[in-house]
Parts: sequence; C-alpha cells; structure tokens
Amino acid sequence: MMNKVTNVELIGDVIVVATEGYLNKDLGDEIQKAAQEHIKNGVNKVLINLERSNIVNSIGASILIELIEELQETDGVLAFCELAPIIEKTFKIMGLTKYCESYSTQDEAISKMS
Amino acid sequence: MESISRLSEFKSFKEKIEFIKTQKGLEQFQLILYSKKTVIKSLSLSDYFSTIDPESSVLSSSFQILEKDNKEQKKLASLCSFHSSHLALCLHIGNKNKALGVIFIPYDNPPSNKSRALILNFKTQIETQIEIKELEQKLSITNKELSNKLLEIESLIDVTEIINSQQGLKKSLFENILITILSILNASKGMVLLKDEKSGFFNVMSNFNILKEELPNKIIRITKGVLKELNESKTSKIIDEPQKYEILKASQKDCMVSPIITGNSVEGVLLLFDKESRTGLIKFTQQDLRLFDSLSKKVSLAYDNIKLIDSLKSSNKLVDNIMSSITTGIIMINVLGEIEFVNHSAKKIFQIEQEEVMNNHYYMVFQNNLDLVSLLENSEGKDEIIYENNFKIQDTKEIPHEINLTLSPVYNEDNERSGTVFSFEDLSGINKIKSTFKKYVSENIVDELLQNENALELGGVQSEVCVLFSDIRGFTALSEKMKPSEVVYLLNTYFESMIDVVFFHNGTLDKIIGDELMVLYGVPLKNKNDSQSAVNSAIAMFKALEKFNNKIEKENLPKLQIGIGINYGKVVSGNIGSERQMNYTVIGDAVNLASRLCSHAKSGEVMISESVFDRLDNNKGFISQKPIRVKGKSQEIQNWIYNAF
Repeated sequence: MMNKVTNVELIGDVIVVATEGYLNKDLGDEIQKAAQEHIKNGVNKVLINLERSNIVNSIGASILIELIEELQETDGVLAFCELAPIIEKTFKIMGLTKYCESYSTQDEAISKMS
Repeated sequence: MESISRLSEFKSFKEKIEFIKTQKGLEQFQLILYSKKTVIKSLSLSDYFSTIDPESSVLSSSFQILEKDNKEQKKLASLCSFHSSHLALCLHIGNKNKALGVIFIPYDNPPSNKSRALILNFKTQIETQIEIKELEQKLSITNKELSNKLLEIESLIDVTEIINSQQGLKKSLFENILITILSILNASKGMVLLKDEKSGFFNVMSNFNILKEELPNKIIRITKGVLKELNESKTSKIIDEPQKYEILKASQKDCMVSPIITGNSVEGVLLLFDKESRTGLIKFTQQDLRLFDSLSKKVSLAYDNIKLIDSLKSSNKLVDNIMSSITTGIIMINVLGEIEFVNHSAKKIFQIEQEEVMNNHYYMVFQNNLDLVSLLENSEGKDEIIYENNFKIQDTKEIPHEINLTLSPVYNEDNERSGTVFSFEDLSGINKIKSTFKKYVSENIVDELLQNENALELGGVQSEVCVLFSDIRGFTALSEKMKPSEVVYLLNTYFESMIDVVFFHNGTLDKIIGDELMVLYGVPLKNKNDSQSAVNSAIAMFKALEKFNNKIEKENLPKLQIGIGINYGKVVSGNIGSERQMNYTVIGDAVNLASRLCSHAKSGEVMISESVFDRLDNNKGFISQKPIRVKGKSQEIQNWIYNAF
C-alpha cells in the first residue's frame, strides 16, 4: 500500500482529505499541502478521513498539529473520521484530540461540521 | 500613573512602543533585542531583533548613561541609532542575569521621572512576557517529551498486547509488531527476517513501506553481513553505512537492527530504516536504540514462547494421534478422582461420551463397575502399579467385557502424586478372534498371530507350503448304507479327531471337501520344518484314527480307512473367490500334486513327494517307490510311502 492522499473533495463548506498508508512526514506534508490549497481560498473546515491509514508516527501527528494551529488563526476547525484505534491513541497522547473532534464516519463528521 | 495604566491596556508590544513614542521626550525611544530569537518572534517583536550581540555584561535595573565615544561601550553604542547627540540613556532588558536587549533614549533631553517610570514599567512587562514565553516553551518541550515517553510506554504495552493476543499467528503477529515499533521510533520503513527451520536461511516475514525492488533478493545467511555481526554481538545496533549491506539497500540514511533471539540462537532480525523528522531524515539516536533493543527483547521472548507453544502443540497432537489410534483404552484420573482424559478406545470399550465423563469423578462414571471403583480407590493410596488380568467390567449398555488393566500412579514435577493412569485392553475382541480362528488353525498359531501381527501376510502372496490331503477310502459306498444322521455324526466325530491332531502339529485347516481334508503347514506362519510337521501330523492321524475306529466300533458304526498325500512347493496364498464369497486358501501345482498323491496312496499309507522327503529331519519308515505318473504332469513323480499298519 502506498502512502498518499487518495482524494480531496469539497463537501459543502468542508474540505475532506482522504488518505492511504503510513501517516508519516511525507503523507503529513501531502495532507497539509492539500488542505492549504483550500484554506488560502477561504475554506476553514478540514476533515481528514483516515479510514485507509492504520499507522501514524509522531512526525505525521505534529504536521497535523501545525495544520490545527493554522486553522485556529482563521477560527477554522480540523476534524478526523474513521480512526484506527492505534491512531486514535497516538493522537490522544500527542494532544491532538484536545483541539479537534473525531467522528466514526465521514457522513457523521460532515453533518456535525456543516 | 495614568500613562502606565494606559500602557498596560495595549495588548501587543508594538502598540505599547507606539504609545511610548507619543510621550513627550520619548519620541526617539529605541528598543533593541538581540537574544532569544524564537521567544522574541512569539511576542511579535521580530522587527526589533538585531543579530548583533553587544555582549553587554552591564546589567542594571536602572538607566545608565551611554557614552558613545567610550571604547568599552562601543559595540553597545553601535546599536543606538541616535545621531544628534554623543550621549544616550540606556536601560538593559534581561532575563535571569543575562542581557537580552536594550532601550535607548536620547540624553540631551533627559526624560522626566514620569517618562522614566513608564519605560521601567515597559521593561518589566517585556521581561515578564519573555520569561512567561520561555516557561511556556519549556513546558511545551517537556509535554512533548512526556508525550513521546508515553508513546514509548504505550508501544511496550501495545507490543505486549499484540504478543498476548496473537500467539501462534506468526505472520500477522510480526506485521503488527513491526508497524507498532516502526511508528513509535518514527522510522520510514521496516522489515522482519525470520530463519527458515529447514534451510537455515533468513526470509522476509514482514515488511512495511519497502518497495518490491528494494527487498533483498539473495539468500540471507547468518554467516554473512549484518546478520553475522548480529550473531556475534547478539545485541541491537545502529548501522551508519547501510549501503554496505545488500539487505539494507532500502535505507537512505541509517538503520537500526536487532536480533530476535531464542535460547542463544538468532532466529530472526528486526530492521528499521531511516528516522523521520519534521525537516527530513535524521540519524537514529542512542535513546532510539535503547527503546528498540528493549522492544526487540520482548519480541524475542514472544517468539520463544511461540516456538515453545508450536512444539508443545505438535507434541500434544502427536500424543493425541497416538492416544486416539491405539486400541488400548487410556483414562487419566487426577488426584481428586476426576477424569481428565479419555481416549477413543476407552470411550468405545465403556460406551461413554467424552462430555459425560470429563471432569466427572470416576465413581460416577463407573458406578455399575463397583469392583473397578474399589480397585481405583485402592490404587489411590499406593505408589505402585496395579495389574489385573481378565478383569470383568460392564459398559454403559451393560454388555460384559473382559479387560487386562493397569493402574499406574503419575507424579508432577515436584514428585507429588498428580493422579492415576488407567489403561486397559479389551479382551472381548481378542477372545472372539481366538474362538473364530481356532476353528481353522491351532491355538498356538492364533496366539502367535495375536502377539506378532507382522507375521501374518494376507493378500495374494507367493510362498512355500506343505500341503496335506487325506480322504476316507470307500466312504461314498459306505455312506450309502448308513442313515444320513449317522453319516453326519460319523464325519463330525472323525473330523474333530483329525483336526485336533492337525492343530497339535501347527497345521492350518484349509478346507473340508466331503470326506476330504486339506491342511496346510507353513501358512499363515512358517514353522521350523513344515514338511516334518505335516509328516508327523499324518502319522499321528493314523494313530488317532485307530482310537477313533475303536470308539465307533463300539457304537456299531463302520471303521474308516484313510490315505494321505503330502507335497511341498510354491503356492499362491490369499483371499480367493468372488466379492460375495471369499476364502483364504492356496492354489498352485503343489496343491494339485498333493491331492494326486493322496489319490494314489492306499488305505493306511502316507505318500510323500521328493520335495517333502528331502526336507525331512526324520524319514524313518518311508520307503522309496517307483515313480508314478499323475494327471497334469509330463514327468514321473518320485515318491515315498509310509505304511501306518
């Protein structure tokens, strides 16, 4: 399985970034870049769908923290959905879950964020 | 005081500085910060940052006069932008006795006390904020370190959980272990090599994020490269130059490798490639190595357990297979008297179901076998093996059986009594076989066959046997004068008498055809001298016939006369016949010749062929005769005759 952003889609006012593989520096950078493209156009709600990523390292997580900070400057929000338990645990330990919500499904996330 | 309180109202330092500059005499207020760039940036004061550090050692909480021409203060003065005066007032900004910056005010128009108080207040505010920011940064670093430590602890827990939950599933176990270790150590890629038990080569059991072309494609041995080093050191290490090794070709920076050891042997290797950082790939640290080493030791322990469990499972399977295939019934009873194990044969003999007896007390299971219960009770207090032969039991359907049983005490590792093994052999089947076979072969042969099954060769095999035929001379004519019931009685009594003799000499009754007996010597078991047995048997048959005749004469029945022919030769033995009816018999020329010799033998004679005569240890009484012609043989047959009377 390759580590990549598999889909970037604007659903309502939420930009949904879907991934696949190891959420490490490379994939973290890719997510950040994909989100930033839309943030500069005024989108400030980002949902990351990690259904097909079942492993993360602290570098990948720290890039997401940077993205959270970036969104906070414009009163935006970052949220996750479909988290594998091991990723959810890492995010919790690294403090990500204090600043963003985690949803079971993408549909639930979109309905709550819109 | 009013201006000080106003100063506090401004949120940013930029606004505060602009406000100060609006105060009379402070228009040329200048702030220079030359240390702690990150903190300064976080306070949005980067515009006031200077890369020139004046290395000022003068730290005073009050204003100082800066003489611009003073050589000692030249570096500090170079930061001051005033040009209208030779002198300036300066106020140091510091943090923990270290100068971080300076405030300049022109001296030629000295500020009022009110202005000085305002600037001093500003200095305090900026110093306080720098300290707070520094503490926040330290706290953030500490938090991050704590998070990392927590992640490390979690990873140890995760690895333990993975190991505990997936024992035995080698591939998924190592996949999960690899990604857990890899992610906690921020490695880009990873691989697990495991030793193949048969070849001794190491194969990739699991890999993560490695391209197919980056995977090792050559035979990996413990005697080469990194594995050789690991085998020698038996400890985890960082490989700074991975390009030197074929199996590390996926690495761009460096690698950590760790042996998976069971006993003292390297059974596998964990490999992590290229540590990631926010700025790119960096080298693994000694701290990483320490964690990696402790994780891989856990993996080693788990793998050791897996191997132990595997070996235990295969041993158990072997024992189960043996236990279920043997005909001996085995019941294991624990020290509490509860049944812990029962094999297939035991279930069959006692007609019991596993679920009915397991963990049940033997008293409940064998309540209709009180003799057995008392024997078991008796064995509990004894540290010796109890044997009982022909012990009578009843199965659950009240069908009686006879068993040979053994009650053996068993002991645990501490040599304490842990129970009893009740093993037994059902004699019912054996008795049935005996009674059936004994109609055809002698008891000795049956016993020997039951003890030595290999001696029994069934199926179409060629063998050498001695064939004896005997028939009653003139019986057809005789029987025509008798009542049928008398004929049957006469024949049954005669055969009974003859068969006893045959069996006594280890003959096998092949068939009875009318008044004719066909007996084999040498099948299914070879004797020391089958020809001699046949001849001895024939002579004994005449002696038995004499007794028989004396007996039936008293019953007013006619005396019988017999002739016997014996030949030795190759025959084909096996189950011969149709699917509906099969008989174990022998066929071949040797059989036919024996039959012909029997036809030629006169009443009271035993006629034997050359093949029999040559094999006799004792040929006393046999007289050579003229060769005879028999049907189906082109050559004349040499023969010898023994006359019984």
